[in-house]
Amino acid sequence: MTERECEAVTTLTGSTKRRRGGNQLRRIETRQALGFISPALAGLALFTAFPVVLSIAMSFYQWPAIGEREFVGLDNYVNLFQNHPDFIPALRNTIVFTLLFVPLNLVVSLTLALALAPRIRGRAAFRVLFFLPVVTPIVANVLMWKILLQPNGLLSGASSSLFGVTLPNFLAHPTWAMVMVVVMSVWAGMGYNMLIFSAALEQLPESVLEAARIDGAHGYRMLLRVIVPLISPAIFFATVMTMITAMQVFAQPQLLTGGGPGNSTMPLVMFIYNQAFTFQQMGLAAAAAWILFAFIITLTAVQFRAQKRWVHYEV
Amino acid sequence: MRNRTRTAVAAAAGAALLLAAGCGDSGGDGDGTVVFDMWAGGDDEVDALRAQVEIAEEETGVEIRLRTSPWNDFFTQLTTRASSGEMACLTGMNGQRLGDYADAFLPLGEEELATAGIDPADFTEGSLDIMSHEGNLYGIPYDVATMIVYYNKDMLDEAGVPEPAAGWTFDDFEDTIAGATTDAQPGFGVGMAEFQWMSLPIARSGVQPVTEDRQLDLTNPAFVEASEWYFGLVDEGYAAVPGSASDTGWGEEQYQNANTAVALDGTWNAVTYLNNDAGFRAGMVELPSQGGERLGLVLGSGYGISADCDDPETALQVLGALVGEAAQDEVASSGRSYPARSSSQPLYFEALDDEIRDEVEAAFEAAFTDLEGQYSTDNWTQINEAIQPNLISVYAGQMTPAELLEQTQQQFGG
Repeated sequence: MTERECEAVTTLTGSTKRRRGGNQLRRIETRQALGFISPALAGLALFTAFPVVLSIAMSFYQWPAIGEREFVGLDNYVNLFQNHPDFIPALRNTIVFTLLFVPLNLVVSLTLALALAPRIRGRAAFRVLFFLPVVTPIVANVLMWKILLQPNGLLSGASSSLFGVTLPNFLAHPTWAMVMVVVMSVWAGMGYNMLIFSAALEQLPESVLEAARIDGAHGYRMLLRVIVPLISPAIFFATVMTMITAMQVFAQPQLLTGGGPGNSTMPLVMFIYNQAFTFQQMGLAAAAAWILFAFIITLTAVQFRAQKRWVHYEV
Repeated sequence: MRNRTRTAVAAAAGAALLLAAGCGDSGGDGDGTVVFDMWAGGDDEVDALRAQVEIAEEETGVEIRLRTSPWNDFFTQLTTRASSGEMACLTGMNGQRLGDYADAFLPLGEEELATAGIDPADFTEGSLDIMSHEGNLYGIPYDVATMIVYYNKDMLDEAGVPEPAAGWTFDDFEDTIAGATTDAQPGFGVGMAEFQWMSLPIARSGVQPVTEDRQLDLTNPAFVEASEWYFGLVDEGYAAVPGSASDTGWGEEQYQNANTAVALDGTWNAVTYLNNDAGFRAGMVELPSQGGERLGLVLGSGYGISADCDDPETALQVLGALVGEAAQDEVASSGRSYPARSSSQPLYFEALDDEIRDEVEAAFEAAFTDLEGQYSTDNWTQINEAIQPNLISVYAGQMTPAELLEQTQQQFGG
């Protein structure tokens, strides 16, 4: 072996040693890291992965809460669409609620954010005021709205004593009941999106606004051509999140209208809850839950695809 | 790589086991305690239950772990626990709902009753039927109840309407609520819950909406006709349309808040109404009769043993103590319920104020006379849950009673 060759071997051995040492260290660190994240992994497995897999399996079974379970293939899915008297109405109600709630919520919250954007006196107090319903328990919100909307409630009493007009029994009428569920939900949820829009408005680059002003942009032109495009990422985020929560609406109709009159305000999540915990049909409920999931994921995918046309991330 | 995966799996499995051990709350009672699940609405009800539990612990020497949840949540939790095999060894059950849960309970034969030290003869006649299903006994009742008409004496006095008297008829009932109806408030609060609305149509028609052989019979012409009369009380102007389908206690709440003079509710709420917060004088009378006949149903609740219980013998001993004389005396004297054990029943009245005791006792005596057991189907709870959100449509005139009953019969009657 020449001297040069010996040097090469020595260098190689040294680097192998270093690599071995590095590998060992990496192994130890990996073990330690796994040890640290194992509680989180276990939680994920127990409370997310396992229920998800189980619910897929359940949806292919006739799975009563008590008693024998039987594999039925796709029967639950077929029965929901073909035979169940409440499923299609519940799906329709969810779609109607989403179509009414999402645009209304975005318009109201954006309007509030714009109204509170200038450095007016007391705007922080107004923001807190509009955000209060978000942090108030939904049960308290509903109680207040019930007092307002009852046949002899505040609205009805004020209307008949001040104007001599008798108002309808809002929550006992199918159309009015849905309208009121939407109105109450917008009131209860507008503060959240308002804060998102307010934060986005605070970040608007002054130089761009100044340039727009010099170019003659004012009023609606400024709003629609400059401000809205600038905050479009925030609007996109709010739209996606609001749509997902709208598709999953449950507490408001459950507490305000009980899904009634009839099934006129029963959304899909209430249908799922009833099937599982009232009618004890866990398999049917799981199938309906996966149909809801499919709707949500499809709509979200569509929104992500569509965002390329109207969301501007660059300033 | 393989080692790393193994390590990860082992770590995750270990943590999962730890978590599962920490989270598990089985009703299996492997540690010698007996878990007891029961509904309770507020601190008073929880305290009353605790008092019974303490008596049972003292008598049996067994530690009892009481878990309570409000009435509406109780059955949701029970469904979840039953489906996952986590049902408590000792569980409360309402007689009307037994059909839906019977498979989850241990049938009680002579041997089980002997272990529990229970003599059926000690209980009010027919009360064990409350906790029976298809000829099997699945629990022991702690109370017996029936539906009764409650009225606001002050409102009737003010309207110049005579108080209802025992033996009254449906004509008298209609005269009473018509007389009590004013511009300010309706005379009657209609029901939104199962027997709160159904009892008057049953009493008037003389038939139950389920036949003796447990077939759903909502479209029985007599029952449909009586239901049309009942829902028609809103059209007559004697009652208001409930505020929302979620107002499941509409009529009773209107009565309790002194917004109406008359409402129907179970005897289990008698003491609550007698001590009402609104401060009015409450009266009570049995359901009215039609053509000299009155069909009232015996209702109630009890305790049963889970079919999956690891230690049914201990649970049976606790059950025996919970429906034993001392615990039943406690139920009676607290005024929470009218006890199922005959010897404890007089204590219920002794706990009442002197000026109303005789009146309430007479009303109970009349109400509990000639009662019939409730006929029920396996899916009776589901049937009622399906009817309930539609009741408001019928009260509001968007649907006829016949349509509601026909639709439900078709959906559940086969």
